[in-house]
Amino acid sequence: MTRELTYAEAIREALALALDGDSNVVLMGEDIGLYGGAFGVTGDLVARFGEDRVIDTPISELGGAGLAVGAALTGTRPIYEFQFSDFSMLAMEQIVNQAAKLRYMLGGAVSVPVVFRMPTGSGLGGAAQHSQSLQAWFAHVPGLKVLEPATPYDAKGLLLAAVADPDPVLLFEHKLLYKAKGPVPEGHYTVPIGEAALRRVGRDLTLVACGIMVPRALEAARVLADEGIEAEVIDPRSLRPLDMPTILASVKKTSRLMCVYEGVKAFGVGAEIAAAVAESEAFDYLDAAIVRLGGADAPVPYSPALERAMAPQSEDIVAAARQLARA
Amino acid sequence: MPVEIVLPRVDMDMERGKFSCWFVEEGARVEKGLPLFEIETDKAAMEVDAPASGWLREVSANPGDVLPVGTVIARIYAEGEAAATPVARPDAPALSVMAEARPPAASPEAPAAGARVRATPAARRLARGAGVDLSALCGSGPWGRVQARDVLSSPRAARGLHREWLVRGERAPLVLIHGFGADLNVWRRWLDRLPAGRGALALDLPGHGRSPLGERIEVDGFADEVAATLAAEGVGFAHVVAHSLGAAVAVALAARRPDLVGSLTLLAPVGFGPDVNGAFLAGFLAASSPDALRPWLAELVEDASALGDGLAERTLRLRRERDLDPAQARIAAALLPGGAQVYDARPAMDACKVPIKAIFGREDRIVPAAHVRNAPGHVATHVLAGIGHMPHWEARDLVAVLAADNAAAGDARAMR
Repeated sequence: MTRELTYAEAIREALALALDGDSNVVLMGEDIGLYGGAFGVTGDLVARFGEDRVIDTPISELGGAGLAVGAALTGTRPIYEFQFSDFSMLAMEQIVNQAAKLRYMLGGAVSVPVVFRMPTGSGLGGAAQHSQSLQAWFAHVPGLKVLEPATPYDAKGLLLAAVADPDPVLLFEHKLLYKAKGPVPEGHYTVPIGEAALRRVGRDLTLVACGIMVPRALEAARVLADEGIEAEVIDPRSLRPLDMPTILASVKKTSRLMCVYEGVKAFGVGAEIAAAVAESEAFDYLDAAIVRLGGADAPVPYSPALERAMAPQSEDIVAAARQLARA
Repeated sequence: MPVEIVLPRVDMDMERGKFSCWFVEEGARVEKGLPLFEIETDKAAMEVDAPASGWLREVSANPGDVLPVGTVIARIYAEGEAAATPVARPDAPALSVMAEARPPAASPEAPAAGARVRATPAARRLARGAGVDLSALCGSGPWGRVQARDVLSSPRAARGLHREWLVRGERAPLVLIHGFGADLNVWRRWLDRLPAGRGALALDLPGHGRSPLGERIEVDGFADEVAATLAAEGVGFAHVVAHSLGAAVAVALAARRPDLVGSLTLLAPVGFGPDVNGAFLAGFLAASSPDALRPWLAELVEDASALGDGLAERTLRLRRERDLDPAQARIAAALLPGGAQVYDARPAMDACKVPIKAIFGREDRIVPAAHVRNAPGHVATHVLAGIGHMPHWEARDLVAVLAADNAAAGDARAMR
């Protein structure tokens, strides 16, 4: 049966199913127990599964992540929650140097089946150190998988796929999406890692939008449709591995590409997608320069007006798409 | 007289500005209201729109130039206007001679032989496949860039009106004709209501949307252009759904080309009586800002929420981009002068053998619903309570059902 759940509820349900389905699964993180998680995602799970399965870790991201990576090496399947994905900077040694590389360096003798949950993005007044979008940092590292669900359905399905994956996976959860509602089936299911979702069919331009940008791109597409501009919207869902065949097929159809993402525009997710298109057979189908619509080249401001201005909003997508469709 | 392009003052305290780039090459056609060049101030880069349509000549500003506000940086010449003064520009010595020897109305110059052609990858691919010489084309994109559409339209001059297949289907398609001042986009809100299996070809009437206004500003002339458009699309038999002024065109088409038309569904049609709301036409045409246009658009419907947001802005933007004002003023003066209806559709309908439905909104403030009394006996009439001049927006489901039924009846009658 399918009900409406919030994104946060869908993740909690996936966590409960993972804990139920495999006694090796444990949750780790700061204040995920009695407090229920910085954004209330783990909620009452400690009451249902006990403190041995839902483990509050000390205020040390490097220590907590190291504990998770070490536990994963011994056959445990830890799901570690960062309160804010920004704090993963403290744990880069464990994520990038250890988790991502150990299977390779030990010749396949071990794997590191750890999941890192990464509350991400701006919009809640968290200012420069609590609002970043660092997906591209991790997508740059061979050995990591980077997922970014945009709907409650995908949040549950991708989290369960991540738990089943033998290698380290990072799940970027936009904080503004936690309260977003959508249909979620009961029971266990997975969304395949590395498969994009075609959110809207259109013929005039392709919008590749990630995470929170998916609902904004869809809203923009509705406005554009009234003007006769039909935008195709692709949600990659998974940044690494990235489903380029779906993107290339769309670009070959529409001849125009815009990448929309919240992370800083320079050296970002959109740069990778744009370059991959330019290198591909779809290049010869482009009828306008590729457009990247990314976050401003600045730390995320505390001022609500500036915070809003630094990230692409649906009206920004409309304006940029209008220009692109006419070029 | 050519229109002078000056470096504008965009800041209160701006004395000089840095010229960044032209979006149109010298000698190329420019369209009023489309971006012409970009300047940089201390604070921002700004696009400046062309103040007039014509050909860009006597360009004197180069990228990077810092110039005093008010400097003349180019001129826009109207059709047939020759350069009046010699141009002292060392890198374009032949320009004034060329302008005099050949009227600029001829066509914008194609790039000189050997010059690098600016073209998109898609245009290059299509040109390769079709054996088209890119250097012979005039690009319509930024900086005169050749776009895919330029290649696609090069071998055969585009024939007929601007049109778009909103839906493709197997059965005889619906041809959708909008009313005065609108364009084919009015039908988009209706697409999900269309009967399955039928295509829908929407078109822009002359002087509307993206269709230029031709020589013949009369209902029969418009009908002939619709017929030519159907021929260009390979449509030999269709059902016409038409609104307001478009309904008169549809009736004329059915009378002139009975082979083409299987049924007529006419929405708030013109052609059934002597008068339309002349104040609306005048106000609609004169409005130059969204605030001035909005109250007139509100007259179209009984419940203003049926219009949705942004309609005034979109209407004005299209008018500005395509310079539609003069064309539509001429159409109104010719077909609906002073609120009178010049075209009487009744004789033409009398000659039609196909099913005709006329759908009126009882609260219509543009075309009086009372005209329904004048409908010939073989025309089915529907009067919708609580509906204004836009039945296809205000009563989408019912109108879609009626149009589908009428098309099915038309198909059945054609089979006999």
